[in-house]
Amino acid sequence: MEPHHFFTAQRTLIVAGKGGVGKSTVAAALALLSARSGLRTLLVSLDAESIDVPAHELLEKVTVTPGRALGDYLSSKGMGLLSRQLSRSGIVELVATTAPGLDDLLVLGRIKAFERELRADVIVVDGPAAGHAVDLVRAPIQLKRAINSGPIGQQADEVLDMLADPGRCRMVMVTTPGVTPVTETVEVVRDMVDSVRATFAPVFVNRVDDPVPPIDVSALSPELAGAVGYARERAHAQRTAIDQLHEAMTGGHVELPRRRNAGPALVQAMAADIENGLGLLA
Amino acid sequence: MSALVDTMCRESAIIVTCGTGGVGKTSVAAALGLRAARLGRRAVVITIDPARRLADAIGLSGRLGNEPLKVDTGKETGGELWVTMLDVNETFDNLVRDASPTPERAREVMDNSFYRSLSRSLSGTRDYMAAERLHELHNDPRFDLVIIDTPPSRNALDFLESPERLANFLKHPLVRLLAAPGRGGMRLANAALTPVLKVISGIVGSDALTGVAAFLRSIDGMEQEFSRRALEVARTIRGDETSFVVVAAPSTDALREAGRFVDELHRLGIDLRLVVANRMPPRFGTGTSADERARSVATTGEESLAHSILADLREDAELADSAIGTFADSLHRNFPRAPISTATEFPTDIHDMASVVRLAEQLAAPDDRQ
Repeated sequence: MEPHHFFTAQRTLIVAGKGGVGKSTVAAALALLSARSGLRTLLVSLDAESIDVPAHELLEKVTVTPGRALGDYLSSKGMGLLSRQLSRSGIVELVATTAPGLDDLLVLGRIKAFERELRADVIVVDGPAAGHAVDLVRAPIQLKRAINSGPIGQQADEVLDMLADPGRCRMVMVTTPGVTPVTETVEVVRDMVDSVRATFAPVFVNRVDDPVPPIDVSALSPELAGAVGYARERAHAQRTAIDQLHEAMTGGHVELPRRRNAGPALVQAMAADIENGLGLLA
Repeated sequence: MSALVDTMCRESAIIVTCGTGGVGKTSVAAALGLRAARLGRRAVVITIDPARRLADAIGLSGRLGNEPLKVDTGKETGGELWVTMLDVNETFDNLVRDASPTPERAREVMDNSFYRSLSRSLSGTRDYMAAERLHELHNDPRFDLVIIDTPPSRNALDFLESPERLANFLKHPLVRLLAAPGRGGMRLANAALTPVLKVISGIVGSDALTGVAAFLRSIDGMEQEFSRRALEVARTIRGDETSFVVVAAPSTDALREAGRFVDELHRLGIDLRLVVANRMPPRFGTGTSADERARSVATTGEESLAHSILADLREDAELADSAIGTFADSLHRNFPRAPISTATEFPTDIHDMASVVRLAEQLAAPDDRQ
């Protein structure tokens, strides 16, 4: 698959994955590759502390945190003037208690607005960690139970429309090739398909080691034999996990090799790896 | 180092493991519990949101709930390992029962149609319930060590401050007004607060706000008991018999997060007992990756390939050592004597009891790193 084709199949990609799998790096690399394919790209980070991304003239970065989204919303409703004497956190907490998930809905609402305003050709969202990703996309459903009318009910409906439309939005799961992360990924995918009818792009399997060809270790020193044995066992365990993923998911997957660089250099290398990986997809 | 982990497992009444996702925090908590059991202690591990595979591994798939279950550790030592998973609803129910002056009042609170959803969404409830459950098990005569795998929250140690946070929320003037609108002495404040409530009502809808008000009224009078307990829970967690363990892995993200935990503990004036550098690449031999790269070039065929594989693994180990070294420097600025215990990454991820046993052995094994 050509990167251009991959990125134009929908406007918004929401990248999710559990902690430590390299989710933010994959999101940044996807955004960079998209920009390099000639598409105006917006990388949306939901975490105030996000990673360095190599500069590109077509790539723009914004941060939308749930806390700030809720604070801005309350200010826009005139709360800033009213609440001068009150501890602001009390008001925010009261609203969050009464309308759980409102902050997450506002984040999704902001993304939807970017999409509707045609702010960019491609929007890549560096989403929350996997467990929280389920909370994030379920927020509109949960909120509608409490509030089904007014501007919030309407906002929730519009966000749900976006999440369920494969031409507008797809989820990108990032995992590492281990049994536990793969199992959790499959569970998260099922949950999101059931709850909001989300569509998934291929899963990105990060930090895959090269397979170890047959080597006769009997003639090797103990440390060489130990290293080969370890590498082989690890590659084998990774293959088992990837096979399990392959069986459970219909959308295919992209394998990204383990890289030893860090920071912007890692993002650069991964963008190239993603391009290669997409090339292998039908 | 072995002495240190064992001393901690012997002497602590509570062990709190902190760490970001993906570093193996739950596995470390389970391994420490196992080690304590081997040392003859009756340990219980509270997990908040465990990877299901781990529950499977400990033989508790599908059965893990608020009531602790005993794990078969395979050895007779006099010690015991128990595991429990936090049930936020059940823990909140217990709290309401304890805080209610009469069983009828407790029933009244729980019958409120908004109770279930609100008891979950209330300011930091999950964090607070973790703290509350820790306190309960600490006072449970069946156990002499409670190990808590902290909730994966956005902010490092929210759960430590969650009891006070809930108490403060319930004391907030807006919340008081919502709970008891007609109460005397509040009238002056009401004039200023009512417009704020109107705006909130305009956002969330009047039904939702009415529901919250009904809930707050139903727990009215209990907040003193909540506050008293909150302080007691906070005292327990901050007590001398509690050990804090930060779990890290040798990646930039994980170490940055671990650094945040360390700073946060320092800010809160809490001593850090141990850092576990988990998932360290294994070491094969004592040479460098550069040696092996040179040998790979100088040889051919399978031998060259084997040298190249060893070179890669050594490079991983060198990068990890250097990352942990940098982390250790900043760690020791805050906690000059905090030891670092390392555990190497297995070729397969931890998803059975055997690997928890191996991890426990590694943590307890002598280590030359300081």
